[in-house]
Amino acid sequence: QQIALGGIRADAKAPVEVTADSLAVNQADGSATFTGNVLVVQGGMRLKAAVVDVEYDPKDRSKITRMHATGGVTLVSPAEAAEAKEAVYDVAASNVVMTGDVLLTQGQNVMSGQKLTVDLKTGTGQMDGRVRTILQPEAKK
Amino acid sequence: CGFTPAYGPQGGGTRLLGAVQTDSPATRDDFALTRRLSERLGPLETAHYRLAYTVTTEALGQAITPSNATTRYSLAGKVDYTLHDIGTDAVLLTGKVASFTSWSATGTVVATDAAEEDAHRRLMSMLADQIVTRLLAQAGSLPQ
Amino acid sequence: EPPAGSADAPAGAPGGYAVADADQAATLLADRIVTTADNRLLAEGAVEIYWKQNRLTAHRVTYDQNTETLTIEGPIRLVEPGQTGSVIVADQAELSRDLQNGVMVGARMVMARELQLAANRIDRKDGRITTLTEVVASSCRICASDPTPLWEIRARKITHDNETKQLHFEGAQFRVMGVPLVWLPNLRMPDPTVTRMSGLLRPSFRTTSSLGAGLKLPYFIALGPSADLTVTPYLSSSYTRTLGLRYRQAFDNGTINAEGALSSDSIRKGENRGYLFADGTFKLPSDYTLGLQLKVVSDPSYLLNYGITEDDRLWSGVTLEKVHRNEMIWLRAGNTHSIRSGESNSTEPMLSGDFSWTRVIRPAVIGGEATIDWSVHAHRRASDMTVDGIEDSDTVSDGRDTLRTSFVAGWRRQWLLSGGVLAAMQTELAGDAVMVRQDENWADHTLRALPTVGVELRWPWVATSGRASQVIEPIAQLVWSPDNLKQVANEDSLLTEFDEGNLFSFSRYPGGDAREEGLRANLGLSWTRHDASGWSLGVTAGRVVRLTDTDQFPTGSGLSGRRSDWLIAAHLTTAEGLTLSNRALFDNDFGFSRDELRLAFAGDKYQIAAGYLWMDASETEGRLTDTSELLLETGWTWAEGWRSTLSTRYDFTAERAARATVGLEYANECMSVDLSLSRRFTSSSTVKPETDFGLSVQLAGFGATSTGRKTTGGSATRVCRY
Repeated sequence: QQIALGGIRADAKAPVEVTADSLAVNQADGSATFTGNVLVVQGGMRLKAAVVDVEYDPKDRSKITRMHATGGVTLVSPAEAAEAKEAVYDVAASNVVMTGDVLLTQGQNVMSGQKLTVDLKTGTGQMDGRVRTILQPEAKK
Repeated sequence: CGFTPAYGPQGGGTRLLGAVQTDSPATRDDFALTRRLSERLGPLETAHYRLAYTVTTEALGQAITPSNATTRYSLAGKVDYTLHDIGTDAVLLTGKVASFTSWSATGTVVATDAAEEDAHRRLMSMLADQIVTRLLAQAGSLPQ
Repeated sequence: EPPAGSADAPAGAPGGYAVADADQAATLLADRIVTTADNRLLAEGAVEIYWKQNRLTAHRVTYDQNTETLTIEGPIRLVEPGQTGSVIVADQAELSRDLQNGVMVGARMVMARELQLAANRIDRKDGRITTLTEVVASSCRICASDPTPLWEIRARKITHDNETKQLHFEGAQFRVMGVPLVWLPNLRMPDPTVTRMSGLLRPSFRTTSSLGAGLKLPYFIALGPSADLTVTPYLSSSYTRTLGLRYRQAFDNGTINAEGALSSDSIRKGENRGYLFADGTFKLPSDYTLGLQLKVVSDPSYLLNYGITEDDRLWSGVTLEKVHRNEMIWLRAGNTHSIRSGESNSTEPMLSGDFSWTRVIRPAVIGGEATIDWSVHAHRRASDMTVDGIEDSDTVSDGRDTLRTSFVAGWRRQWLLSGGVLAAMQTELAGDAVMVRQDENWADHTLRALPTVGVELRWPWVATSGRASQVIEPIAQLVWSPDNLKQVANEDSLLTEFDEGNLFSFSRYPGGDAREEGLRANLGLSWTRHDASGWSLGVTAGRVVRLTDTDQFPTGSGLSGRRSDWLIAAHLTTAEGLTLSNRALFDNDFGFSRDELRLAFAGDKYQIAAGYLWMDASETEGRLTDTSELLLETGWTWAEGWRSTLSTRYDFTAERAARATVGLEYANECMSVDLSLSRRFTSSSTVKPETDFGLSVQLAGFGATSTGRKTTGGSATRVCRY
């Protein structure tokens, strides 16, 4: 199925694996902060960032409800890559909001703006804030 | 009342004598103009200034007789000139001079043609004299 | 089919993408872009699309990547690059990614900022063919408050091809002020960017008392980039059938152009009349310029009947010229055909040739500047009589032919004396060899020489005070030459003038047949005031005083007698654009022998050019009565775009006008109308007085008119007043 520009799909149910150089756990609110080459993998989607704060479901510590990545984020899916300064991944609502010099590329198609909201279920993406994109001629069929 | 000899010590006219190189002429009018300028400002010794000029003339028929013969022509002429510093080519003085002269066409064709040629020479001589007079008036402001 | 490539982010910093064929890519900017699953982009809020400097702005654009089409919702504005590009405004459109193909609905197109086309549908094909359906075309201002334009062309379809630069109207209807005047099923017009294209030029109506009401329809044929032919049929009611032709061609080193006409008319029934004027100039190696000219006409009154020129002496011949700083070579040879009544082409010198070579050198020992001038003059009268016949009014042998060669060497040097006096020493030696044929009164050969020496003293004084500077310059020149010069037949020195240009020259004769003799003093005083604000006034006074009256100059020339007339010349120019010049020659008791006044004022609203000429009668100069003529040309811009002109030439001696012309011009941003009524009162054996009425209308927006709508007096681009 054709994956639209900015339509990053991910399976919200798939397990999330996080690796980083170091980890600090905050016992009080149950959140954790990964720092240093943080890599978050969920199904086909991979997220790299300098620092990621992870919040867990208070009732079930093993379920991640929200991740907040800062310090330059790259989100890569099989068909696309997106870069931005920050990103918030709301696992329950299964959407990702990237902000700050967002750059989204898919093959030759490129889009830049200030804020990218991706609905992982429907695969639609919305870029805001003086968005700029290049309409490439398709390779002649 | 403020008058001083132009070629005298306070006049500044001596700066022009033998020091003005005119641009090379392209037409016969230009040639007559540069000849008269060279007569008045003296042949070139050491060039301090360059004089650029643009000559335009226009003839106008006059004295139309009842039998529709044009028996006189007047020739109006204008020269736009700029005086440049020979080294830096900076524009020091600019100006425009204008005058007119005429020739009769009542005689034979040979007499009329000769009168026309002479009218061009006289007009250029007048315009050159006016340029020299204007330069003399402002010579005091020229840099040493 | 899956998109090519994936995953790796392209090189280059965000915002600057290294893309394969950058010039094919279109850039899209918007406040918000939503990408949908089925590969569509929805851009909203101040959407801008750029493609090769074409720029489109819209409110909302949907881009379907598969079909590469943009569905655009208005208000849409598409601007093509450059001054000649068009601007299209539309409500909705569906265009290709590069904006070059597609449909625009409810569209208005402005071509080259000049021609407005409103259509309910515009189709674009490859950015080249634009088809407008149900369209109104006009270059006039269209305002909400006053929607009907001055003129418009309504058409079922207009096709514009921006390569052939042509507009093809189908089912066209020409309307003025909303009233349909002309129906044209098919019409081709140049688009506003065209400067050179074959087609109809501006038609004009010409009504004259001798030829009746007529119409001229010039048709221009471009023969390649450097040559063209204009064919102008001119038909008039009572009556003329005239075909006018003009051919122009440009070469690498020169140009030729020829104009002519063939007519059969009611003025000379049954005769083929016409004229041909051709000229060419060519740049030859080593700075020579060659000039060729041919002027022939079928009969003396043709040029006036058809308003071609007022020239009454038509010269055909060749000129060659080379001008350098210190050398000038000039040759002029040809024949003059006179159509002046009372002038004979056989008993007057019409075939003539002149050559002159001038060289300027700087002599070593004596310094100063020397000029050497070698000249040859020859002319021939067609008649072979050796005595004066009755055919003309002069007393010269009807067949006299002359050849004269002259050699003149001159030297001049200046010295600056103490006190600022500039002294100049000048010497000249002129030698003439003259041959005369077919004239019993003159020797076949004459050799003569005339030395002349002169001293000139100039003592200019200057005063500069704040903004104004003044110069007072007294000049005295003493000139001597012997007064026993052998006389030769005087042909080229009969028409003498006396003005500031020759007040201080050695000979006030225009040619070489006569040279000024005797001891004479040329005295002059000039005063000039030049104000930095731009106005300047110059007055020159002069007089020639001779030791003895050598009776060389005719009365009425101002130079006759022991003391010449006073020469007074004044030139005034003001910053506002007024120039006033007057030159007078008058004797001690103020008897004016000559006075010439010229006035010119070029303001925005008013333009005036006036001239008054007074000349005493002078038998030797062929002027049997006094000349007293006023020339007046006025222009007045009395309202936005409206300008009227009046010009007249009044002969006080004959107590009537020689010519009077009244003109009215209207010009605005889309149309210019020129109306002129002129009457020539002169008449002779071959020419009758004539009245000439001309009208011409030009629609702006078709073909780049060089003058555009900026006709004299300025056109008024009307503005909508809500």
